[in-house]
Amino acid sequence: MSSDGHPALAVRPERGWIGRRGWHVGVLIIIALAPLVFQDSYWRTNLIVCSINIMLAIGLDFILGYAGQLNLGHSAFYGIGAYASTLLITKLGVPFWVAFVLAITLSGIAGMALSIFAVRLRGHYLAIASLGFAVIVHQILLNWISLTQGPLGIYAIKPPPEIALPGLPSISFSNTANMFYLVAGFAFLFYLLLDQLVRSPIGETLAAIREDEVSASSFGINCAGWKVFAFGIGSALAGAAGAFYASFVGTLVPDAFIITESFTILAMVIVGGMGTLIGPVWGAVLLTLLPEILREFGDLRLVLYGAALTLVVLFMPGGMVQAVQILRARVRRSPAAASGGMRP
Amino acid sequence: MVTVALQQTINGVVFGSLYVLVALGLTLIYGVLVQINFAHADVVTIGAFAAYFFTFAFGGNYLISIGVALLVGAALGWLVNAAIFAPLRERGSELLPLIATIGVSILLQNAMLLWFGPIPYAFDSPYSNEVIRLWGGTFITWQNVIIVVVSALTIVLLYGFMRFTITGKALRAVAQDRETAGLMGINPDQLIMLTFVLASALAGMSGAMLGPILVLTPFAGTTVIVKAFAIVIIGGFGNVEGTIIAGLAVGLIESYTTQLINPGLTDIVVFTLLLLMLALRPTGLIAEKREENV
Amino acid sequence: MTGSDRPAALTHARPATAAPFFCSEGLNKRFGGVQAVRDIALSVQQGEVFAIIGPNGAGKSTLLNLMSGVYQPDAGRMVFDDVDLVGLPAHKRARLGLARTFQKIRLFKRLSVLGNVAAAFHIHHDIPPWQYVVHGAAFARDQERCRAEAFNLLGFVGLEARAPMLAASLPYGEQRMLELARALATSPRLLMLDEPAAGLNAAEVDRLLERIRLLREGGMTIIVVEHNMDLVMQIADRVMVMDYGQHLFEGPPGQAQRNAAVIAAYLGA
Repeated sequence: MSSDGHPALAVRPERGWIGRRGWHVGVLIIIALAPLVFQDSYWRTNLIVCSINIMLAIGLDFILGYAGQLNLGHSAFYGIGAYASTLLITKLGVPFWVAFVLAITLSGIAGMALSIFAVRLRGHYLAIASLGFAVIVHQILLNWISLTQGPLGIYAIKPPPEIALPGLPSISFSNTANMFYLVAGFAFLFYLLLDQLVRSPIGETLAAIREDEVSASSFGINCAGWKVFAFGIGSALAGAAGAFYASFVGTLVPDAFIITESFTILAMVIVGGMGTLIGPVWGAVLLTLLPEILREFGDLRLVLYGAALTLVVLFMPGGMVQAVQILRARVRRSPAAASGGMRP
Repeated sequence: MVTVALQQTINGVVFGSLYVLVALGLTLIYGVLVQINFAHADVVTIGAFAAYFFTFAFGGNYLISIGVALLVGAALGWLVNAAIFAPLRERGSELLPLIATIGVSILLQNAMLLWFGPIPYAFDSPYSNEVIRLWGGTFITWQNVIIVVVSALTIVLLYGFMRFTITGKALRAVAQDRETAGLMGINPDQLIMLTFVLASALAGMSGAMLGPILVLTPFAGTTVIVKAFAIVIIGGFGNVEGTIIAGLAVGLIESYTTQLINPGLTDIVVFTLLLLMLALRPTGLIAEKREENV
Repeated sequence: MTGSDRPAALTHARPATAAPFFCSEGLNKRFGGVQAVRDIALSVQQGEVFAIIGPNGAGKSTLLNLMSGVYQPDAGRMVFDDVDLVGLPAHKRARLGLARTFQKIRLFKRLSVLGNVAAAFHIHHDIPPWQYVVHGAAFARDQERCRAEAFNLLGFVGLEARAPMLAASLPYGEQRMLELARALATSPRLLMLDEPAAGLNAAEVDRLLERIRLLREGGMTIIVVEHNMDLVMQIADRVMVMDYGQHLFEGPPGQAQRNAAVIAAYLGA
C-alpha cells in the first residue's frame, strides 16, 4: 500500500553517529577546499550566494516541511534581516555583529508575529496571508523613502569588519575566500542546529503537527505555540541570510525581496526534497549553481526554475532526496524498497 | 470636490469590475477544487498579449480580440487542468497542486519574458482616447465603458448560469460535496474541467481589457493577481456574491487611496485590509463555513 | 500477554472514590441549524467502563469531541477530577490525564509505527532545553526511556513487529490498534474511545475487548462510544443511550436492552 501519495517524506535513512560525523567532516573539508579550487571572483560569488540560499532554504523547510506551514512570504524575513542590519549599522553606528544579532531577532519576531496572526488560519488562508505580508513588507521597503531610500537603494555597504586575533594576520572579509568561509561556516552551523532539533522530540512534535493537528492536540501538543516556534526559527535564519547578503553584495534595493524571491526559495526546497533538511541543501546548490553553469542561456534560468518545480511536483514530489532513494533501491535490486524507500 | 469624488468612484468601478472578473475565476476554481491556481495571473497576461497580437499583428478588430483572448484563456485553462490538477487530484495533497501552479506561473512568466522581452508594449485600443463627458465634470473613456459593460454583462450571465441552469447548479453541488454529487450522477471531473475553462476564459477576457490600461509586460498579470487573491479572501473563497462585492469595494478603495492619500500606498492599504479580514473573519464577508469533520 | 508485561502507563490501580471522576451537566452544542447535543448530563465513576451508545447521528462523537476539547460547548459544565474543563483547550486536557482515539483514524501517516507512539510521549519528556540542541546525557536517557516504553505499548497491542513500518502501510485493523497504543502513551487516567471497533472483524474485536478488559483491571477509567450494542454488552459497566443529541437512558447495559424508548430509537432509526 502506498504512503497515500506522500512519498516525499518517506522515512529518512538513519545514519549512526559515526556516519553522521563522517559526513560533517566531509562537508567541512569541501568548504575548506572550495575557495582553493575556485580562485576566481565569479565562482566564489556563486558559492557565497549558494550558501546564503542554503540558509534560506533550510529555514523555509523547517517551517514548511517539518511544521507543515505553507509560508509563501519568506522573502519578507530575508528583506527585514538585510535592511535591519544595514540600517542599524549605517544610521545608528551599531557594530556589525551586534546588528547581525539584532537583525536576526527582528526577523524572528516578524516570523512569530505572522504565525501568531495566522495561527487559526488553515492551509490556503495562511498561504495568502503570508503572501500579503510579503507584499506589504516589500511595499514598505519601497515607499518609506526616508528610511530605506526606496527604489534608489542603499549603496556602499561594508562587509563585516576585519577580525584581528592576537598573533595572527587580520582576516579581511573583502577577501571573497574569507567571506565564503564565514557565510558557509554559518550555513553549516545553522544546518547542524536544525538537524539537532529535528532529531530530538521537537522534530517529532513538529511532524505530528504537520500530519494531523487534531490528534496532535490530543497528545498534549500545543500546536499554535509550536507553529510560532517553527516560524520564529525559520524566519530568524532568513534574517541572517539577509544580513550576510547585504554585507556581501554591498548594495540593497527593495526589489531584491519581491515575492518572486519567496517562490524561488520554495522551488529549492521542493526540488531538493521537502521535509528532509538535506534536500533543501541540494536544491539550493542545484538551483543556484546549475543556471550559472548554463550561463549562456541567461534568461532561461527562471524558466528552468519553473519547469523544475512543476515537473518535480508532478512526477517526483519528494524531490532529489526521493530520486536518490529510488536509485539506491534499484541498485540494491530490492523489489519492496524500489517503490520509494519504505522498509518491508 | 464632488467632481473628484465622483471621478474616483467611476474609476473605482472600472477597476473593480476588472478585478471582479479575475477574482471570479479564482473563486470558481477554489469553490470546486479547493485549490488555488497561481497560474491564473499568467492567463490574464497571455490573454492581453493574445488580444494585442490579434489587433496589431493581424489587424483585427479590438472588440473581437476580446473574444479571441477569451478563447485563448479557455484553452489554457483546459491545458492547466488536464496537465496538473487532474493528475494530482488522486494524491490528495493540499500543498502540491498549489506549488505546481507556482511552478507553472514562473515558467509561463519567464517564457513570455524570453519571447516578448521586458519592454512594455503599447497596447492602444481605439477606444482608449475617446472620452465622454459625464455630469459634474467627470469623464470616462470608451475603453472604460467597454470594460464596465462587458464585465457587468459577463457577471450577470455567470450569476444567472450558476443560479438557474442545471449545469450551474451541478457546479455548485460539486463545490459543496464532490462525493455526493458524484453519487447523484454528476461527473465531477467534467464539471471541474468546465469550471477551469470558464474561469480561465474570464481571465483571458480581462487580460484583453486590461491590456490598454495597464503596462503590458509579461508581469502584467502579477500586479493584479495578488489583489485578486485578496478579493477572493475578503469576499470568501468560493463565494460568488461576496467576490463581486469585494472586488468592487477594493476597486473603489484603491481609487480613493490613490487620490486622497498616496498612489504608492494603495497596495499597503489593500493588503492591510486583507490581513485584517483574515484576522477577524477568515471565511469572508458572507461567511460560508466549511466545518471539518472530526 | 501476562500482567508483568504490562507497560507502566497501565498499572496504576486507584481506590474508587464516591465523587464521580468525570461529570457533565447541561451540555449543549449546535452546528448551524442542527442541535447536535442537547442538555446532556452524565457521570462516570473512576475505574468503570462507561459506554455511550445510540443510532447513527445521535451526537455521540460530538459529545466525545466536547469532552476532549475538539469543540467547546455552547452551554453546560464539565468537570474531570475536580478540574473544570470548559474553556480549557484540548492540549491542556491531555496533561490532566484525558486521552482519546478518533472515529476517523488520525494516524501520523508519514511517520513510522514507532514514530507515531513516540510522538505521543510529548508531555513526558524530561530534557533541559539546551539539550535539544546539544544532545547530552539527559537527552540520551530520555530517548532510551521513551523508546523502551513505546515498544512496551506496541507489545501491548501486538504491533511490536511493525515498529519500523510506515503507519499508512498497516492494514486497517492494526491502524486502529496503533491508535490505541498512541492514546495510552500519555499515561491517561481517563481513556475515551470513539467507535474503536468500527471496521474490525470478529477476531480483531475480540482482541480489542481483551485489551479493554486488561486496561480496566489496571484501574483505567474508560468511556467508549460505540454503535454496536452487542460489543457494549460484553464490557460496559454502565451505559448511556443517546438519540437526536438527547439523553434517553442511563444504567446497566442489561436494562438498556429492555428499555422501550431505547428499542424504539434503534428500530426507528
